[in-house]
Amino acid sequence: MSQKKRIILAVGLIIVLVAVVLGLESLRAKIIAKDRDVSLNPGDIPVYKDGELLAAVNSEDLADLQMVQFTDAEQGKVQEGWLILNIMEKYFETRHFSDSLQFVFSSSSRNKSIALSWEEIAEPENMVMFDLSGRGTLKLVSKLEKLDVRDEWVQDVDRIEIIEP
Amino acid sequence: MKKKYFSTFQLIVLTLFSALIVAAKIALRLPIQLPGHSGLFWMAIMIVATRVVPKKGAASFVGIVSGIMATFMGLGDFGSLNTLISYSAIGIGVDLALLLLGNPENLVVATLVGIIGHFAKFLVKWAFGAISGAPLGFVALGLARSIISYLVFGALGGLLGGLTLLALKKAGFFAYLAEKK
Repeated sequence: MSQKKRIILAVGLIIVLVAVVLGLESLRAKIIAKDRDVSLNPGDIPVYKDGELLAAVNSEDLADLQMVQFTDAEQGKVQEGWLILNIMEKYFETRHFSDSLQFVFSSSSRNKSIALSWEEIAEPENMVMFDLSGRGTLKLVSKLEKLDVRDEWVQDVDRIEIIEP
Repeated sequence: MKKKYFSTFQLIVLTLFSALIVAAKIALRLPIQLPGHSGLFWMAIMIVATRVVPKKGAASFVGIVSGIMATFMGLGDFGSLNTLISYSAIGIGVDLALLLLGNPENLVVATLVGIIGHFAKFLVKWAFGAISGAPLGFVALGLARSIISYLVFGALGGLLGGLTLLALKKAGFFAYLAEKK
């Protein structure tokens, strides 16, 4: 086989692989959409309180929020995204939130979760925020001592639960 | 006595390339908020390694050894198994691409090898995410953006590797290396 044919074959192989990934992901979106609450779109992050769906965090709503960033102390990588404080202000009247109100951020695929108080979230210095991961999912990161290293971060967050203490 | 596939010298050289990948992954932090940007130096090192030790399986060896090193150093966002397999996948991807395309001193070949090798890593990460039930991309076209980023940085890394090979050849490095073997 000539070199030219080999190169064409390689380019074709790359195109096929990309198409297969996008096709399978689209299929997965359809399957997930069937299983989820009808008011949620694939990719949305639901916010529940006492089992009731209060809001669905989606990318369109966050587009006009200011992005913030900080460099994590563990690996020196820049974490960039949206403060949870600003996200909650987008969906709720946060002045009614008590400092002790708990927010549980969880990831079903990682089997991880963390509870943060509104007091912790509302302090901008704590940088409690969603960082956009490489594959487009959200990762909860912060400067808080209990959430400042990779093992403590909650990757692939897919649910937020608000709990009255 | 049966002749070994890789000489001791070649094994040492390949292991050094593996260590270089891990060191570069830790030390070189590009201020780019794009997925897969480490492919720039990763694929360049891989391409150079495959020409310094021009044997089938050299890239796989580098991939697996760098994967083991990275696993023990706790690198990667998605756990040790993911790290080991994704690092190994790059090496295996590069070897398979070289089987099809041949000499990486051709810049087009080096670029394509870079793309295929780096995309193999993306496939592993994506497959792990899909199998573990990771949520779909939050941002519309998040996955497409990620794919494009992996392909571009893989291509740039492959091209950089190809250019490095040409520079090394011009400097007479491979002739020098042949004498040392």
